[in-house]
Amino acid sequence: MVSEKTKPSKKSLEVYLIKKENLLTLVSKLADEFEIIAPVRTNGSVRFEKITDINQIELGYIGHTKLPLKKFFEPPKEVLFTYTIKNDSVEIKDNLEQIAKEKRVILGAHACDIHSLEIMDKVFLGEYHDPYYAARRNNTIIIGEICNDTAEYCFCYYTKSGPNAQSGFDLLLTDVNDAYFVEVGSEKGKDLISRFSDLFEKAEVKYIDLKDEKVQKLIKKMREKGLPEMDKVYQDMVNAFSKEIWEELSKICLACGKCNYTCPTCYCFDINDEIDPERTSGSRVRTWSSCHFLVFTRVTSGEVFRKDRSSRVKQRIYHKLVYSVNEIGEISCVGCGRCIDVCPAEIDLREIVKKIKGGA
Amino acid sequence: MSKSVSESVKNPYIPNLAEIIKIKSETPDTSTFRIKISNGSEFKFQPGQFIELTVFGYGEAPISISGGTTSKDSFEITVRKMGEVTSALFRLQEGKKVGIRGPFGHGWPLDVMKRKNVLLIGGGIGLAPLRPLIQEILRNRKDFERVILMYGARTPKDILFKDEFPLWSKKMEVYRTVDKGEPGWDETVGVVTVLFDEFEVYPEETIAVQCGPPIMMYFVTKKLKELGFPDENIYVSLERRMECGMGICGRCSIGGIYVCKDGPVFSYSTIKGLLERAI
Repeated sequence: MVSEKTKPSKKSLEVYLIKKENLLTLVSKLADEFEIIAPVRTNGSVRFEKITDINQIELGYIGHTKLPLKKFFEPPKEVLFTYTIKNDSVEIKDNLEQIAKEKRVILGAHACDIHSLEIMDKVFLGEYHDPYYAARRNNTIIIGEICNDTAEYCFCYYTKSGPNAQSGFDLLLTDVNDAYFVEVGSEKGKDLISRFSDLFEKAEVKYIDLKDEKVQKLIKKMREKGLPEMDKVYQDMVNAFSKEIWEELSKICLACGKCNYTCPTCYCFDINDEIDPERTSGSRVRTWSSCHFLVFTRVTSGEVFRKDRSSRVKQRIYHKLVYSVNEIGEISCVGCGRCIDVCPAEIDLREIVKKIKGGA
Repeated sequence: MSKSVSESVKNPYIPNLAEIIKIKSETPDTSTFRIKISNGSEFKFQPGQFIELTVFGYGEAPISISGGTTSKDSFEITVRKMGEVTSALFRLQEGKKVGIRGPFGHGWPLDVMKRKNVLLIGGGIGLAPLRPLIQEILRNRKDFERVILMYGARTPKDILFKDEFPLWSKKMEVYRTVDKGEPGWDETVGVVTVLFDEFEVYPEETIAVQCGPPIMMYFVTKKLKELGFPDENIYVSLERRMECGMGICGRCSIGGIYVCKDGPVFSYSTIKGLLERAI
């Protein structure tokens, strides 16, 4: 039962092999011109960090990193521009030029996180073009990695965002013991292969099957979780909007916003000015926000449009599974499980959807 | 040749510099500011659209455009002193610089109103986004049938655009009410909906447009429905928190639509079926 989707697409049929020691050589060489961002184990968790030493890299980590990749494209706090007030005029300096200079490689992104960027693209590069996000996307090479195993909170199979990555990567690695099987997903990826061709070798066809077996194993393991397919619950969710379940959840939800901060597709933000005490200059700053906070919908008159906690508990989940379908044509949950992992009240999106499917 | 604002600035987050060229006090806490883009760019907008206003040294706030459709490079905003940014705006004098992004959103449906009766309903500062529509209608008065304005304010002192009402009253029917009267006030006292008793309407041939506090729009819409207005003949301009104005920041979402880019003017038929309550 090999589904078409798990097979490498025709476009990526150009396949290579890179020995593990050669991958480290490649990263060292890339470090001369790029900032390298890779999974690093610190304080017991794996985090994406800018690395200074290739030995820090922990490829093959299981499950999700502490924070997703969005922090590299929409930083938790970023200066959009600065300004200086001079007598009757104002000088504005756009920070975009600085951002446009950064060149980065992200190594070790899992399928869920890779797909989250494709979702973010539809928001930030849709009807309106966000130049800060665009600059960071253009400057960044994504080298993904197929997971070696699934973790407790993983459910990417049910959100159609894993365990295989279909697109959104420049190169995609699969651990095949002493080497990585390499698929090419873009022109940027192709360029890397040709620039460092001495580090890569052509892969035999058997590796395609090897990768597929690995993906099938992951799918099999995840299917045992017996969850609803999250892209098929739209109508159930619509029907459940006024159900009791949201009142119940609002009694345990702390409205802390951790689910928003760790969600790879929660992009909502605040824009504020940070002013020097003399009020002669300032910075326009964008920061992450959370739809669980009262201030999220508060207007100057003091009116709060999502006052009841149940309306705030709902907002994030309905954005992921309902509104997003209308806005960008797909759900915006990628099944990484971070929101479940970090919730202090042990609220579990999978259980909510299961209950709703069961008529709750 | 002058360029439009959108052409001259590619990054939509960077405000255009603009100058406050005239300030007119409307009420004790509300003034109208005429603003001119500094670099000679054109500023075109549709009645009902809004801008993001920067007061440098304080921050940015979304503000409805309240007039100036006939000017190529300037427009008006009517602002109540309320938050940090608007309070800072009130400390600026004519000649001072502000920042402008926009205009954003979709305005009032002028084409739908043509050859129809128009019922304009404003509450408090909500008259501001209706004013450019009133100006547009009065300039092309023969394109519209009967035009009625209903306006409610807290007290007679709080009535906006006081010196424009005499002219408006000549070209359309005007009904006003205040929550709290005072000696010399001989018009209605009460909430806006009491004004519905003053005249007859023909719901099928009338387009009702409204802007005011959420509670007003709730009761006005209820009344319009009782009178038999079809959903698609009712329009509202909604207020929500906005940071970007471009449908990205996520703050003005109502059940998956965005007030900034899909509105702020909506047909009631669009918003009544949303999962979240819009009014």
